[in-house]
Amino acid sequence: MSEPVLITGLGTLGAWGGGSERLAAALAAGAPLAREVDRSAGYHLPHGARRACLVPPGELAGWLSPGEARRMSPPSKLAVTAARMALRCAGIASEGGDEAGTAVVIATAFGPSSNTETLLKQILDEGPEAASPSLFMESVANAPAAQIAIALKARGASVTVCEREAGPLIALGTGAAEIAAGRAGRVLAGAVDEMTPLLHALLDRFGALAREGEDGEELARPFGRRRNGFLAGEGGTVVVLESAASLAARGGRALARVLARGSAFDPTAPPSGWGHGHKALARSLRRTLERAGLKPGDVGLVVSGASGAREGDRLEAEVLRAVWEGGPLPPVAAPKAVMGEYGGGHLGAAVLAAAGSSLGPTPGFAEEDPELGITPLDGPLREAPSVVLATSLAAGGAAAWVVLGRG
Amino acid sequence: MQRNHPVGEGRRVAVTGIGAVCGLGWGAASLWEGLRAGRPGISSFHRFDHSRHRTHLAAEAGEPPESFVRSCPGWRRLSITDRFALFAAREAVERAGLALPLGEEAEAGVYFGSSTGGMYESELFFERFLRDRRGRLSSLIPQQVNAPGDAVARHLGSTGPVATFSSACASGALALGAALDAVRSGEVELAVAGGSDSLCQLTYAGFNALRSVDEVPCRPFRAGRAGMSFGEGAAVLVLEPLERALARGAEPLAMLAGAGASCDAHHMTAPDPSGEGAAAALEAALADAGLPPEAVGFVNVHGTGTPLNDAAEWQALKKVFGERAGELPLIATKALIGHLLGCSGAIEAVATVLCLHHGELHPVARAGEADPELPVNLVLDEPLPVPGGRAAVSTSLAFGGSNAALVFSPWGDQAA
Repeated sequence: MSEPVLITGLGTLGAWGGGSERLAAALAAGAPLAREVDRSAGYHLPHGARRACLVPPGELAGWLSPGEARRMSPPSKLAVTAARMALRCAGIASEGGDEAGTAVVIATAFGPSSNTETLLKQILDEGPEAASPSLFMESVANAPAAQIAIALKARGASVTVCEREAGPLIALGTGAAEIAAGRAGRVLAGAVDEMTPLLHALLDRFGALAREGEDGEELARPFGRRRNGFLAGEGGTVVVLESAASLAARGGRALARVLARGSAFDPTAPPSGWGHGHKALARSLRRTLERAGLKPGDVGLVVSGASGAREGDRLEAEVLRAVWEGGPLPPVAAPKAVMGEYGGGHLGAAVLAAAGSSLGPTPGFAEEDPELGITPLDGPLREAPSVVLATSLAAGGAAAWVVLGRG
Repeated sequence: MQRNHPVGEGRRVAVTGIGAVCGLGWGAASLWEGLRAGRPGISSFHRFDHSRHRTHLAAEAGEPPESFVRSCPGWRRLSITDRFALFAAREAVERAGLALPLGEEAEAGVYFGSSTGGMYESELFFERFLRDRRGRLSSLIPQQVNAPGDAVARHLGSTGPVATFSSACASGALALGAALDAVRSGEVELAVAGGSDSLCQLTYAGFNALRSVDEVPCRPFRAGRAGMSFGEGAAVLVLEPLERALARGAEPLAMLAGAGASCDAHHMTAPDPSGEGAAAALEAALADAGLPPEAVGFVNVHGTGTPLNDAAEWQALKKVFGERAGELPLIATKALIGHLLGCSGAIEAVATVLCLHHGELHPVARAGEADPELPVNLVLDEPLPVPGGRAAVSTSLAFGGSNAALVFSPWGDQAA
């Protein structure tokens, strides 16, 4: 990337509550944030997954006007709130013009699921004439990005990325490219998703979610021998990206630096699972590091996208082992064990790690899977890493990496 | 989205393959034949029962060629959107003279746009699931918006970057812009870019609820226009550095010279009536191409046929082209194939490339009177020769205020 790209603000809310300090505290504590999902609609299987990492009620208070709160879908509310938090963190006034030419790049795996569900019920149960126009306009995948742009008068490109679990890192990379190429003075990049009871039930019916283990706990257990699925999550996470020149001109501080980005695809993956194409993925990851002038040995911490998915974690381990060519891996964190899959918490964890926050133990990990050979972080590192690699391998084949350095 | 890199930096990017499916047929040749004749593919349709919907028209893609169905692994498990995408991608790659699987081109990037992915199949699932908590879960697998792009990458055997954009009607154009960046910067040597969407009840009912759909085939920029018409299909373009294309003996169809994007930041569904956002995308695309507005010979307008969108687009054209705005020939592809939503930017890019390649601007049927408030030079009734040596712009102005524009320039005999 020609122009150094800095991360100058982080806004995030999810099961950890609102704000990067709350996320940092949750990650340091290393306890899973899951709670009971509303199963009253009868979508769930009787013995299916029961828990998800959900945004606690009341976390949006004070961040949205009554009009915004009325007209926005849940993901739009999360996205606008996270964007305002990110700008505040960066020390930038969030309203009042867009001299910087701000672009917005937001990833979502499922879009506004609750609005889509309600709209489909209207159409299928009551007939198409019952379809609500206001629900429809907030059912499109790009509603969160559009609402950020409207709320903050951001007139740069407005882009919504959908690439499942790889989306957040692709969004960050796409945003960084906008800055590096000089196309935007500022970028708000991140991810948002909501976890509705219907979506939770369907993910479980696909066998994707963690079920109760022998210990009676419903935990993610990334890289663990007894992992049996991931914890679903929700939230919104947005970072402010700026060029070094832009930051110098306004006199702020950087949390982290984007050193390189990359993405790849595994064509052996089935549409809803993971394949066996670790060699090609590893080649792409190695090249991403090379673009930053780095060797694998320079990486001080991997903030892995491993989620407890049986095949996903297996592929992740194969890719990491191939990049490190059988040698010792750096410490590997698996923060999705704490805050679940979706909503950008993983992206937030990577930024916090690059900014010097300590990540704590990995909940649910009890026994290493000998086929994977990775024991995730069991406590804070002695030294803050100077280079953090974030990885994310999506079901269906997409993969993305971002390399972050200190700000 | 201003691009500050000096013109000439990076590589010139050629379009070496195109593929398309739409209401005019399966294949780019069918598309061109229908476009050149100004023959609308918009009529009554059969995908779902529309008797209770407010309007009853769409440009529905017909049956696929049997030879393609037989040669496409797992056909029955694919969503309709994925089927469109695979057909268009395969046609584009074959037109580019590349063999499948892509072999040494396997690190090709795939950049795709879609609004609803496999929503049609999801509706079939939900109808059953909401009633009795049953339904074939497998029909939900291709539901996600990223499914068509992923399916294309899987089909091509690509191991390069894959990214799906879902910014409503700008999705396809944004995907092409990302592909242009990736080829130009050297991130990939080959990009397969486009979009795919199929008819579904959600969007049909939703746009009807917004009163954005015309009861007759859409009439962009004409008096009495009352909204869009729906279409469906896919379009794919193969992009590669010009030098590489020529070295392997491929014949470029046109050049993708620039891309730009912006946001109205105004309203979720209504465009900024000043046209400033759309103009910013157009200006950014021209700056990216290193071309002044005078270099543009025609515009493939977004032209949905809604009263507000066409009016805002006219304001944008006036801002960018000044007094030439009323003389500049405009083509309005949606009048013939309907609005393909997340794919519209991609299929209108293919239509633009076809016009440049054949040296003719496709017409639309004269539907009613001209709108005196929008004194545009819409190509009507008969094809017109492409103004020699000039570039072309294709615009996509989406829900949520997301705008994108692409600049194509001619290749070969048509080049200046």
